[in-house]
Amino acid sequence: MILRIVKWVCVIAFALVLQSTIVRKVAVFGVEPDLTIVALFLLALKHGVLQGLYVGFVVGLTQDLYSPSILGQLALAKTLIGFFVGLFNEKVMRTDPVMKAVLLLLAFVLHDAVFLTAQVVKTAESAAIIPTRLAMDTLPRAAYSLVVVLLVYIGSLVMKPAGRR
Amino acid sequence: MQWILQFIIGHRNGSSLMLTVVLSLWMLSADETAQAGVSRALMLYVFYPVQYAVDISTRARNIFAENKRLRRELARMSTRAAALEEMARQNHRLRKLLGLNDRFSHELVPAHVVVREPSGHLRSVVIDVGRNNGLLPYMPVVGTDGVVGKLIQVLPHLSLVQLLKDPASRTSVIIRRNRTVGILETEDGENFFVKCRTHIEVAPGDTVITSGLGGVYPKGMRVGTIEKIGDDADPLFKRAFVEPFEDFSRIEEVFVLRLSPQWASFREALDSLELEE
Repeated sequence: MILRIVKWVCVIAFALVLQSTIVRKVAVFGVEPDLTIVALFLLALKHGVLQGLYVGFVVGLTQDLYSPSILGQLALAKTLIGFFVGLFNEKVMRTDPVMKAVLLLLAFVLHDAVFLTAQVVKTAESAAIIPTRLAMDTLPRAAYSLVVVLLVYIGSLVMKPAGRR
Repeated sequence: MQWILQFIIGHRNGSSLMLTVVLSLWMLSADETAQAGVSRALMLYVFYPVQYAVDISTRARNIFAENKRLRRELARMSTRAAALEEMARQNHRLRKLLGLNDRFSHELVPAHVVVREPSGHLRSVVIDVGRNNGLLPYMPVVGTDGVVGKLIQVLPHLSLVQLLKDPASRTSVIIRRNRTVGILETEDGENFFVKCRTHIEVAPGDTVITSGLGGVYPKGMRVGTIEKIGDDADPLFKRAFVEPFEDFSRIEEVFVLRLSPQWASFREALDSLELEE
């Protein structure tokens, strides 16, 4: 149990560090993958709703504190996607890779939708930016993140000994 | 109260979601001042302690790494310091040797001792200069403090030095104060003595120098001081025991005086006579 917690804390912390350091250097046409969402997605999928939403809340709050976003904005967005993805927990529901990919895209959309809504409410910006930003920013970011996940997944398959695949 | 707890436990997913969403919304809805206060409080009481703990562990790891690096550095510096110390000593010795140039008008060939006799009875050493450096047998060898010995065998790059310690060695010396001439001898390689007639006044502390009569060493080279006076088997003589200036157990650098023995010309003449016959 403790080892599992330590493992996931390390994964999330590593994702946060990568997100704030290396990820900017691999941006393609200004689009960056979001490794924190990917890590949270994997955790929620594996361990369920409760872990997903609490970890999402803590990760989001950490990002809120260390980034120029409004306090609570990312905490709310990540709490909700942690909860949402946790509903499709592997222990409860068997999901195939395509379903997982769709879920990841949906998680991105949900995350950014909540984030942008909070921004619109808080800053009195026009709500029209939400669909535009979702189409122009979120979907490419989600696609890029999906590619990264696929590459990592393929890499892990290649690295894994043949007997254990 | 109990039913509230039971409800929360029974619906922990929903209540957890409620709690975190309410907290997030509360933070979102707060004004900027309140948000700054919450941020500060969270940073101060939650994130900084975590960061501090991480920093401490990182620092501890760094300290271990630094400790390892410093140990390596210390070992390197110790080796270097030892080498520098050795160089300083060598420098001192060489400076002393250079001082010999002022005392002797003969050309001095510097040499390092490369082979010593492994036995405790050091009678000869091998030096790293030889015939290619213009050396010949019977050239005198001196150290920083006094006479060391003479060359007895010369190879192209090496030479064998017979030390004064060799019982087979005989050196003509003179006691500087009273100009008494004698032969410096040793029977065991440790105790050096000069045989003098009993009526001659010799005292401990007198300096013994080469007499220049043996044909090998030039006159006036420092040999040692008289340490004590003892009896000889022959009642007409006494023994003046000499403490050599040179410490034979620690010789490392020496100088060879490029000086052929005085009888070299006689030997050449004798050799030519033998050839004619």
